[in-house]
Amino acid sequence: MREISRDHKHVKNYHRRFLLSYPATPIQKFYTFLLAPLIIVLAMYFVFRFFPALNSNQPENFSLGDIVEASFATFGRLFIAYVLAVIIAFPLAILAVYNRFFEAILLPVFDILESIPVLALFPIVILLFVRFGMLNGAAIFILFLSMLWNIVFTLVGGLKIIPKDITYAAKVFGITKLSYFKKVILPGVFPELVTGSILAFAQGWNLTIVAEAIHTYIPGGVESNDLFGIGSFLVHASSSGNGTLFIYSVLVMVVLIAIMNLFVWQKLLHKAERFRFE
Amino acid sequence: MDKENKIPKKIIFESVSKIYVGEKDEAVTDVSFSVQEGEFVCLIGPSGCGKTTILKMIANIEQPTTGKLIKPANVSMSFQFGALFPWLTVFENVALGLRQKGIKDPKLTHEVHKYLTLMNIAELSEKFPTDLSGGQKQRVGIARALAVEPEVLLLDEPFSALDAITTAELHDDIIKIWKETGKTIVLVSHIIEEAVSLGERIILVKEGKVREEFKINLPYPRREQETDFAHLVMKIRKVFFA
Repeated sequence: MREISRDHKHVKNYHRRFLLSYPATPIQKFYTFLLAPLIIVLAMYFVFRFFPALNSNQPENFSLGDIVEASFATFGRLFIAYVLAVIIAFPLAILAVYNRFFEAILLPVFDILESIPVLALFPIVILLFVRFGMLNGAAIFILFLSMLWNIVFTLVGGLKIIPKDITYAAKVFGITKLSYFKKVILPGVFPELVTGSILAFAQGWNLTIVAEAIHTYIPGGVESNDLFGIGSFLVHASSSGNGTLFIYSVLVMVVLIAIMNLFVWQKLLHKAERFRFE
Repeated sequence: MDKENKIPKKIIFESVSKIYVGEKDEAVTDVSFSVQEGEFVCLIGPSGCGKTTILKMIANIEQPTTGKLIKPANVSMSFQFGALFPWLTVFENVALGLRQKGIKDPKLTHEVHKYLTLMNIAELSEKFPTDLSGGQKQRVGIARALAVEPEVLLLDEPFSALDAITTAELHDDIIKIWKETGKTIVLVSHIIEEAVSLGERIILVKEGKVREEFKINLPYPRREQETDFAHLVMKIRKVFFA
């Protein structure tokens, strides 16, 4: 019994032993935690130091706290868009993989939809959201579209590699319908979901600049239409030549992304190893 | 009516055929045979002959296209490569079917440990499948199949990927479990020697049809070096490769 309890503790602690998704050497840890952030900070310093033209205007009254708060506002939108993308992606991927009829129809449609740039959908965004004053909805919708296909395609890939024997075993032991989703599909696609989520968030961060600077896609829009967030800060800083705001905004965003990578994605990537089929 | 015919039949195939969706040819054609309660039957045949399709129909994974199949509802199966869920510990893998049946602690833990002990893998309880050898995975797969206390235990080439020593050990364990529990067992294999070692009866399947049945009256444990064993293998081999 003591043996079992010790093993149980070992299992519980298994994921805590790795800070990265792999058992990193001291040199890899040095690169990840010290050198990479140092390079980013130095790069920012040199940009600031040697390109004074960026800083031609007087900095406005934005504190570092404002920028951090804006980053969290952006992160909140990204998170909502991500949750919506996952909720929509699962049924789409399941239909495309498990139903021959939908597979023949949906996969080519997904391919076409994925290739349409999100920016081309601005008229729809304006019709659906901006006209009704739902500016946050507009931003979240753009972020959602930018994330959706990454998740759909990685889920399709994940569902296709669930071994037939696992499906048969589930059926033999009475795991069907909702319990099949919970006990086979969700854990079975977990590694691909993590990969898809990383790609989706990367795509989402890229699109924040567009999504939050709403004045850029409303006919006759002004900057006051923009949403409070790191994306609109960057656009504003760039257009007004406020180099300090620009550099600090990028820096805060990079730090937030790095923190998320280290404390969320790396942990999940490591955990995902347990979910891979041999 | 002789004594053998008085034993109730657990599985009855009557002219069963199966065509998979999208396929033209039948995977099995007009298959008829039966398995008695407590019998150990081995289905043998070359790869792609339809023996696994027969097993899947017994397991309710596939349905016959035509013909009649009578089988109990409580059938369990162990798979070629274990088919263990990699994200679950050995304990949770074995508990899978029990949880689906709504069995809860403390009965659940008691049952799982009972079958882990029966398969000599109690110490692996908290390990994950990736930490196990091929033989250990098969033991977990068989423990999982037995834990739901099935009326019929199906074994789909469970020893095909194992080394000779592990296979021999598992053969002995399967025979021991069969004798102790009196379960009806249907094993699929493409190895004639394995079928002769284990089964009371061998059903030879070729090109989707039952070609011949062989009754094995040798006492257990059976060893390949014995003359009767070798004669039987030769006899089956002639039909197998004909």
